[in-house]
Formats: sequence, structure tokens, C-alpha cells
Amino acid sequence: MLNIKKIKNIKTYSIFFMVILITSCSSMKVTEEAVYDSDISTVEASIIEEKEMNLQTKAVFTNATVYFEFDKFNLNSKSLQTLKSAVSAMKNNKSIRITIAGHADERGTREYNLALGQRRADAVKDYFVLNGINKNRINVKSYGEERPAAYGADENSYSKNRRAEIN
Amino acid sequence: MKNFLLLFFIISQSIHSELVLEITKGSDDPYSIALINFKGSKNINNQISSVVINNLKRTGEFRILEDKQLLSSPVNQEDINFDEFRLLNVDFIVMGSTNQEDRNDLSVTYEIYSVNKRSKIRTSTVYGIPNRLRQLSHYISDGIYEEVTGMKGVASTRLLYVTEQIVDGNSIFKLVVADADGENEQVLLRSREPIISPSWSPNSKEVAYVSFETGMAKVYIQNIATGTRELVIENSSQISSPSWSPNGKFLSLTLYQDGNAEIYILNLKNRNLTRLTNHYSIDTESVWSPNGSKIMFTSGRSGSPQLYEINLRKSNSKPKRLTFEGNYNAKGSYLPNGDGIVFVHRKEDNFQISLKYFNENFIRPLTNSRLDESPSISPNGNVIIYAISEDGTGLLAGLTLSGARFRLPVKIGQVREPSWSGFLR
Repeated sequence: MLNIKKIKNIKTYSIFFMVILITSCSSMKVTEEAVYDSDISTVEASIIEEKEMNLQTKAVFTNATVYFEFDKFNLNSKSLQTLKSAVSAMKNNKSIRITIAGHADERGTREYNLALGQRRADAVKDYFVLNGINKNRINVKSYGEERPAAYGADENSYSKNRRAEIN
Repeated sequence: MKNFLLLFFIISQSIHSELVLEITKGSDDPYSIALINFKGSKNINNQISSVVINNLKRTGEFRILEDKQLLSSPVNQEDINFDEFRLLNVDFIVMGSTNQEDRNDLSVTYEIYSVNKRSKIRTSTVYGIPNRLRQLSHYISDGIYEEVTGMKGVASTRLLYVTEQIVDGNSIFKLVVADADGENEQVLLRSREPIISPSWSPNSKEVAYVSFETGMAKVYIQNIATGTRELVIENSSQISSPSWSPNGKFLSLTLYQDGNAEIYILNLKNRNLTRLTNHYSIDTESVWSPNGSKIMFTSGRSGSPQLYEINLRKSNSKPKRLTFEGNYNAKGSYLPNGDGIVFVHRKEDNFQISLKYFNENFIRPLTNSRLDESPSISPNGNVIIYAISEDGTGLLAGLTLSGARFRLPVKIGQVREPSWSGFLR
């Protein structure tokens, strides 16, 4: 602590006297400066756990994942099959609320992928709403490329990562 | 002009894969500097010279000769035989001394001589404390760089980046600040949820970033020194992609409250929000032009991601498309002099860092590996740092407009999304 104080004093002093002299005869430059001083504090992010819903009803959706093409967010026929059963489960049990999380593969920029993941999650949400599910029962978010399901750097992994997960 | 021509050589250079800081390519016509051993504590001087040499070499603009490569090692100004140095093609001689009066006080005085002028051209003194020896060495590096090239150096600036490390099967994300050479890492934020899009405030005292710690992307501003932080907007939808206006008064952001990614400007003083884009496709990755008059962003409105620009000085200004080559151009940043933009360009299946000058109608590829992203430009405009992926590992690499390439020291885990501070010196 003492050290920091000291350097700060020097800094004030040297800013005051920081002079660039250009002598007329030899154009020689003279400078004085003190190093920039900054402390750094570390913050621990407090993780707020999502409210766990009833495990039994959640189990119905555990593996409900739909997949997308690169830079696309439209649902294909296989996805529609998957979503159909999810819709009927929600109709049978009005207490079920779902979260749809959209994801992207690692190609392309992170923020664009975050937005793309959102579009994918929204496309799934739109399907639920079109099929009579109240939009208030659906929570939507995106993880972009930040939470891959597969870690490989090939199309096989990429295709697993371009997804929307329903939980 | 020199930089301009050398840029063409960058394209043909491939990146090698050594594991530590390495300089794979330098300028074809570097400045030659004789760095004479400083007087004073040998231990301190060795630490200083290794940092200074690294810093100067990394710019690609210097050839450094040390005592053992010289014909003589002058101790004082009177001992310098300029003809000997001329024989070795040395342009500048740097001599100096370190003085430690007590445990807490350290100062270094260095002198720069021009061999051509046969005279001393600069005397500088830097004050520090022993545990800031690296920072002190960065100041010396920048003093030399500035005197020789006439441009401000960036050795004393800092980098902000994100790391991800997997511990017991769980990811630990960190927001880290480090010296421009990748050393002296200090953690600003640690979280079990992703952190993305870090960026500096114009005075480099605060950072903005996106943290998923609440389960959803949200933008925070954090004071580096105190650790005080705030959630910039409280609402129920995602918020991301923060970028500070050059005057520090506004933050541009991507909001998802309209059901789609749209760019807004937040007035940090009165918290007013102004909507900037209005389109059903994705609009994100906003950045301000150096004079604050324009905002560039990535938009999917043409059917693929492309860069657009909005003029803030004209009301109802229509976005102007800036990129036309290929089907993926995103995450742009302006060169500090406003002459052009650097961005991520997709070429076939590869994502590369590219440069486009506004007075040219073609883009210049700067890198050629598979997955290069997140370019960030040094405040003097000479260096671009970016993230690369090698065998599934994220690393930081850099290139200079004078043709040098380098890697930052490899850290544990994945390193990504570098962001360069402003000048700190």
C-alpha cells in the first residue's frame, strides 16, 4: 500500500514537471515521466441458478433438440416431428413451462452467432405459439457459440452444435 | 508509404506454430538499434533489456544489436566511436543507467544517439517502483519507438481478453487484463457462465462486457481498479455487443427486446435509449468511427452477414453497405485514422482477418488460417491482434502493418476475443 502511495506522489510530481525541452542548439529532447499506476480488482460472478421445474415433467423434454443449417434458422421436417410431440406434451400438462436455448457452431463471429442462436430459439418458439401454446409459458435465450455440444472442428461436430434445446 | 507497400508481403506469409512469443516475419528494412548494457544493477538491467528487446522486435520494425554483437561497448558519451557503429549499419545507439535509491524507488535514465547525426537526440528518465519493472521497461520501449519512428508506441498499453478453462468437466470463464506482450495477467471477472465481447472505455479505466451469469446475455460495465460494476439495462431480454462512443458518453448495444437483434444507443448519463436500426434480420456488432460520427455494424439484411454504416450526423440516414465480396463479412472495426476497416471475412470455408481501405474497391486478406476472428487494432493503428484456433485451442496472434507476425505466450485453456486499450502513457 505504501508503495502505491509513493508512486502516486511521484506521478503527481512528474506530471507537474513533465517537460519536453527542445534545446535550440542541438534539438535534443529531454523527458521525465512516472509509470502509470493502476490497481486491479477481481470480481466473482454470483451464479443465479435457474429455478428447477418439476423433474417428472421436465424429463419429457430432456432430449428435445432440433438442428439447423449453417447461418440458417428455419425448421426442417425432422425438427417439426420432434416439436410435434413436445407441443402435445405441453397441451396435456398445462403446468409445463419451457426454456428454449439457441446455439450456433464456432464458425463466424461470436455476436452474430449469439443473434443467430436467438433466431433459432425464436423459430422454435413461433412453432409452439402457432400450435396454440401460450407464449408466456416459453422462455427464450441464446448461447451463441459459447456452449457447444460437441468440441470437434469438423462438420460432424458443427452440425450437432447448430441447435435449439428445449428444456 | 513504407507500411503501405509492405502490406502486400503479409498476404503470402503463413503462420508457423512455435509455442512462445515469436516473431516470424519482420520488416525488410528495419531500424538498427545498438542497445548498450545499462549501468547499475545487473539483475534489474537484464530484466529491463529482455522486455525492451522483445517489445521492439515484436513491432517488426527493429533489428537490435547487443553488446556482444558490437565492436565496442561505450560507457559514456565520450567513448562512442560513431564510425564503428556506422560500419555495423547501426542507426541509433541506446545507453542508460538504473538508479535505485532505496527499496521503493527506482528510476531509469536512457539516452538515444543518432549515428547519422553523430549526437545525442534524447535523454529520458522514467520513475517507477521495483515491482513495476515491466511497466517501466514498456515505457522505455515506447520512448525509443517514438523517438526512432516518430509514432507513439503501444508497449505500455494493455489487452483485455477472455479465457475458458475446463476444470473437473466444468468451464471456468475469466475476463483478463494483461500487458500488450501478454504478460502480467490479472483477472477482472471469474464466472462459471460464458463471458463475451469485452471492450474498453475510451479512458481505459472501465470495461464493458457480456456475461451470462444470470443465465442470459447481459451487458455490464466494470471499473478496473475498484471492481465496482453495474448491469447497464435491466429488462427481461438479452442484451449484448457493447461499444463505447469515443467521448465515453454513450454505449451502443444490441437489444433483443423487439424480438430480434437491433442496435440501440444508450446515453450513460441520463440512461435514455435511442433505437438505431429497424430491420427484421440480425443487426449487431456495432462500433463507433474514430470521430464518433458513424456507427458500423453487421447485418443479415442482404441475406448474409455484411458490414453497414450509419451516419449519426444525418437524421434518418439509411445504412450504407460497406462490404460486397463473399457471403460473410462481420465484426468490423475502424482503423484509428478512419482510412479503412478491419473485419472477419469468409473465404471458401475459412474465416480470415481482412482489411479494406475506403479509397479502394477490393479487400486485402491479412491472415490465411482456418478460423481467425475478433480483430482488435492497437491505438497507434500499427498492430492488429486477433484470435486463432489451432487444433481446437484458442490462441492470440498479432500482425503489424510493417509485415511482422507474432504469437502471444500460450496460456492454459482457450484464449479469445482480444481488445486493445487506448494509450495509457
